[in-house]
Amino acid sequence: MCIGKETAMNNFITAEGFEKTFRYIKLIEQGIFTTIMLALFTVVIGFVLGILLAIMRMTDIRPFRFLAYGKNGRIRNSRILVAVSKFNPIAFLATAYVEILRSTPVLVQIMIIYHGVFGKLIELPSFTMFGFLKSNRFIPGVVALGMNSGAYLCEIIRSGIQSIDGGQTEAARSLGMTKVQTLTNIILPQAIKNILPAIANEFVVIIKESSITYTIGVQDLMFAVTAVQGANYIVMEPLLVATAVYFCLCFPTSKLVAYFERRMSRGDKR
Amino acid sequence: MTNGKLIQVKNLKKYYNKGAIKALDDVSIDIFKGDVMVVIGPSGSGKSTFLRSLNLMEEPTDGEIIFHNIDITKKKFINKQNKVEKVDINLHRQKMGMVFQHFNLFPHKTILENMILAPVKVLKMPKAEAVSKALALLERVGLGDRASAYPIQLSGGQKQRVAIVRALMMEPEVMLFDEPTSALDPEMVGEVLSVMKELAQEGMTMVVVTHEMGFAREVGNRMVFMDEGKLLEQGTPEELFDNPQNPRLQDFLSKVL
Repeated sequence: MCIGKETAMNNFITAEGFEKTFRYIKLIEQGIFTTIMLALFTVVIGFVLGILLAIMRMTDIRPFRFLAYGKNGRIRNSRILVAVSKFNPIAFLATAYVEILRSTPVLVQIMIIYHGVFGKLIELPSFTMFGFLKSNRFIPGVVALGMNSGAYLCEIIRSGIQSIDGGQTEAARSLGMTKVQTLTNIILPQAIKNILPAIANEFVVIIKESSITYTIGVQDLMFAVTAVQGANYIVMEPLLVATAVYFCLCFPTSKLVAYFERRMSRGDKR
Repeated sequence: MTNGKLIQVKNLKKYYNKGAIKALDDVSIDIFKGDVMVVIGPSGSGKSTFLRSLNLMEEPTDGEIIFHNIDITKKKFINKQNKVEKVDINLHRQKMGMVFQHFNLFPHKTILENMILAPVKVLKMPKAEAVSKALALLERVGLGDRASAYPIQLSGGQKQRVAIVRALMMEPEVMLFDEPTSALDPEMVGEVLSVMKELAQEGMTMVVVTHEMGFAREVGNRMVFMDEGKLLEQGTPEELFDNPQNPRLQDFLSKVL
């Protein structure tokens, strides 16, 4: 038994294992490429969706506003009517979306999107991208990840916009700037600066979380790892290679954002 | 302008909670070209709401504000060709400069960028022209060497002087001051008031909400007293200070003078 344990330890991590792993370098390269593509597409979808949801949550549309006031123009005593009058359907939809997506596992969401939405409801064209990437697996993966990160980014963006003092909007509007000019020139630059650390964190999470798409057969880095493991009966070496690759993707990303954060905070320094 | 009237305010009302709170209760007044109108009153009297209504920072519940022969509180107006046209509030705001209690400079932009942003984006002024104009204005208020500084590097008084010249960049016809010295340390009040005084002497039409009674008496040519959303008394500063009629104005002056 003692000998058996020693043998197991000796076989735990071996140079031979790494050598075997690197025979599949082409597969690993494709995996890295796929992971990067997944992250990039997810970020774009997530950001657009996040901005859209944030705007929806900040609208002030209350179709039942009239219910709160009685004939004399005073607020009614009925608590139910006053509560109904505050109902904003657009904000409600966005809030419901955000809360549901944030309160369920991303694995479940990916399965539902892949097997449910794209499996039964929507027919996806089947083609191969970049010579190896299967569209009917990649697209559901990206859509699911994008929908998930959109919910998180919505909350980050909303908190960023709401953290800007109302006086900034007033000053810009008093100079004759339009709502859009105010948003793009005054509010968003300051809001983005404030939320940059949170966004960097979300980007890193997206890169790491993209590994979960191997469960629906997207040929990302984790997919390459399991392929190498299965073909060679080795466990640790491919995983260690994947660890190194993920670290090399995530660490520089957060450092890069930290650099932009320093550059944008010039106005804060005395 | 008809009879030199720049802004006509007619029966302006601002209600909250459908009339339960009356921030502005039937205020009517004409502001003439070249006026330096000082608005005084206790806090919560509606004087800030009145000022902020003039460029629709607050949307009034009812009433009219006539500027350039157009009621800017309405969505539409009938133009000279007898056609219905949309009221473009951004267009009118360009002609009404506003200075805030808390300066509201844009912290992510330098002083120069703060000043040229609106002229370049809104008036489509060439950048070089805007820069030279901004530098000349900064020189005038004694801040010529701070153009590349960020707002946080400036003192309160300097920030407010920048805020004034930022509004002047748009060449407004009237300047609205909302308690411009209330957030300043006492030793910085003077520098801001002297810029405002200079502006008044150049003939700028000004509406000033302030607690600086010395400034009101010295620079103002008209004065109004507001309380509980009502415009209770108006006249020259001398009339209001030396011979107040309304008991509430008498009470107010006895506390602040």
